[in-house]
Amino acid sequence: MKTDPAGKEHGVMGWINRRLPVVDIWRDQLAGYAAPKNFNIWYFFGSLMLLVLVLQFATGLFLAIHYQPNPNLAFWSVLRSIGRDSRWGWLIRDMHVTGASLFFVLIYLHIYRGIMYGSYKKPRELLWLVGVAIYLILAAEAFLGYLLPWGQMSYWGSTVVVNFVTAIPVVGKAIAEWMRGSFVVGAPTLNRFFIFHVFLVPFSLLALVLVHMIALHQVGSNNPDGIEVRDDCNEDGWPREAVPFHPYYTVKDVFGVSIFMVIFFWFVLYNPSGWGFLLDKLNYVPANAIKTPSDIHPLWFFLPFYAMLRGVPDKLYGVIAFAGAFLVLAGLPLLDRNPVRSIRYRSTLYKINLLVMPATFLALGYIAGGSASESNMVVGLHVTEMFYATFFLLPYFNRQRSRAATLVWLVVLEAVVWMVDYWMYAIHAHSWSLMLQTDWLPALYIAVVLLLALVVPRLSADARVPEQLTMGGLTH
Amino acid sequence: MNRPRRTVQAITAALFVSLVPVAFAPPVLASTQTTVVPLQHMKLDLTDREALRTGALYVLHRCSACHSIQGTRFSSIARQLQISNSQIQRYFNQSGRSVHDTVVSTMPADVMKKFVNMTPPDLTVLAKRRSPDWIYTYLKSFYIDPHRPTGVNNVVFHNVAMPDVLANLQGLQVPIMKSGWLYGQRKPVAMGVKQLTQGTLTPAQFDSTTQDIVDFLTLVAHPHAKERAMLGPWILGLFALMSVLSFLLYKLYWRRVIMPTRRWWHKQ
Repeated sequence: MKTDPAGKEHGVMGWINRRLPVVDIWRDQLAGYAAPKNFNIWYFFGSLMLLVLVLQFATGLFLAIHYQPNPNLAFWSVLRSIGRDSRWGWLIRDMHVTGASLFFVLIYLHIYRGIMYGSYKKPRELLWLVGVAIYLILAAEAFLGYLLPWGQMSYWGSTVVVNFVTAIPVVGKAIAEWMRGSFVVGAPTLNRFFIFHVFLVPFSLLALVLVHMIALHQVGSNNPDGIEVRDDCNEDGWPREAVPFHPYYTVKDVFGVSIFMVIFFWFVLYNPSGWGFLLDKLNYVPANAIKTPSDIHPLWFFLPFYAMLRGVPDKLYGVIAFAGAFLVLAGLPLLDRNPVRSIRYRSTLYKINLLVMPATFLALGYIAGGSASESNMVVGLHVTEMFYATFFLLPYFNRQRSRAATLVWLVVLEAVVWMVDYWMYAIHAHSWSLMLQTDWLPALYIAVVLLLALVVPRLSADARVPEQLTMGGLTH
Repeated sequence: MNRPRRTVQAITAALFVSLVPVAFAPPVLASTQTTVVPLQHMKLDLTDREALRTGALYVLHRCSACHSIQGTRFSSIARQLQISNSQIQRYFNQSGRSVHDTVVSTMPADVMKKFVNMTPPDLTVLAKRRSPDWIYTYLKSFYIDPHRPTGVNNVVFHNVAMPDVLANLQGLQVPIMKSGWLYGQRKPVAMGVKQLTQGTLTPAQFDSTTQDIVDFLTLVAHPHAKERAMLGPWILGLFALMSVLSFLLYKLYWRRVIMPTRRWWHKQ
């Protein structure tokens, strides 16, 4: 933009900018936002989620116009009014369904990116916490929305999840009734879930996303090396190893968006039910309050939590284990206080731990996808313990520990694991043969990691962080 | 590649491999509890208009006496079969409902409740809920069972409430019993059927008629298959092209950025 010697902008944009700082915001927050040069493929997912958020709002608006939040009409309003009677309604609906699932694919990748590169460490703790809040709100949004098609799985999935709330002592039953507006999931439940799904929760989500971006722009982006680029500026105050977000990352993100849209529309047009993961087959049957399906599953992105709820033999402790998974995620800035941010320069054993973490999460999802058999529950319990173990091993790696300290860590963690196991047997005595099949899993994992650290100290030693940014193997 | 990196990869691989049996064992155990009857495969054809019309005739004359197809309307069926609204009213619609009405069973729901103690499932998305092969096998697999109120049972749907509405076409069948799992117990289970009496159609004609019915029900479940097939290549092609162009643009912009040359695993 042209400016006169006094620095006053000309033209229409100048006129507007003096009244509403749109040009300033553009200049400071996009063209003037210094983003590190070395972003890799993991840095696409944030902007992609922004795109999906917009898509969900746009498609959701049209769906809400035709949807009837009434148990007698809901199922057919989705299948017939939206799916068949309104022009392109099927496309809008499939986009909304696919968008919801892919949103979770993206957020899981985005969260794992943050974990890998230590993006929750100082000064980004609040940025991380707001992100975890977004994940929670998104989960609530998906849960509320899943009831709306009023199919069998919608109905019974919601029934099961709301029933878990009754596990909370004293007030649980009252809260569950308050959530449903009734003693069972019914017309009042559908009404309020619809209103929360289209009004309260999505706008909270939008507000939190804005807060997330404000926090990001305050502290600046982390990068795959975990080096603070703002510490090394030239005489103009511009970080030497950063480029302006616009045009460099906008043009790169357009590429990411294009690739993503190919995948997105492949699902929408060729595989709208996504092998039964996006749309459960049982949801083609209208909700029936007197016919309980033999296998009730939540949508795929909640399956790991479902395995935790099912695996822990007591309902209340199950809910605690489920809520604890969010807590340990939010607590990462406290658990991992090692000054080295990026996984690239962390020790070998830390790297392994960070691979086992999502592996146990995926395994939990796989287990919950199976039937509610006793063996599935027991395996779920032990993999849940292993999932938690990967988090509680993190503080061990805060610095390289002495052999004695390692030994203490080993003894304490093993004791905790076996005590938790014993506690669980005390609540519900599964047969010993069943327990012993996978009982060793968390204990052995902790033992392997800490014994390796004990015997080969080199494996728990962090590497030196370079002074300047480096490149990864795949990009450039 | 240097040695520590190889060690990392070996340990990682070992850990992942050790997780494999844990992940796979339980559902395999769970799935052995019921015997699964293999489905007969049929070749779907949603373009053969004559076949679809035959299918529609059987579905609207026989199935929709008890089953509703509430997701669709007579006029939409007419459009899909490329016949006129007056033709569908005259030859297909036996319910007396208007041409733009949804297809609702001729038999009222409360009467059905008295007869079979349930509302027969809606057929709109049956082909998605089950599968075309399942419906095909199901329709062919009724057998005589004197213990059932309808006198028949079904191989793929044990103790089904539905009578064999195609029996006059197919003839009667008796089960081939084999040892299998039923409700967690090992007992003789019907694994197939044998022809007992001749119907009005030969077996080949009956197969083809059943296929027409399944074709039509699949068309009803996937009313936008044509639009999907038409849009698919264009939309995917558009974004594929955009991917290529935006990649080139990205490379063009980033050419002037001086990138770090050192890889992160190089020694300091």
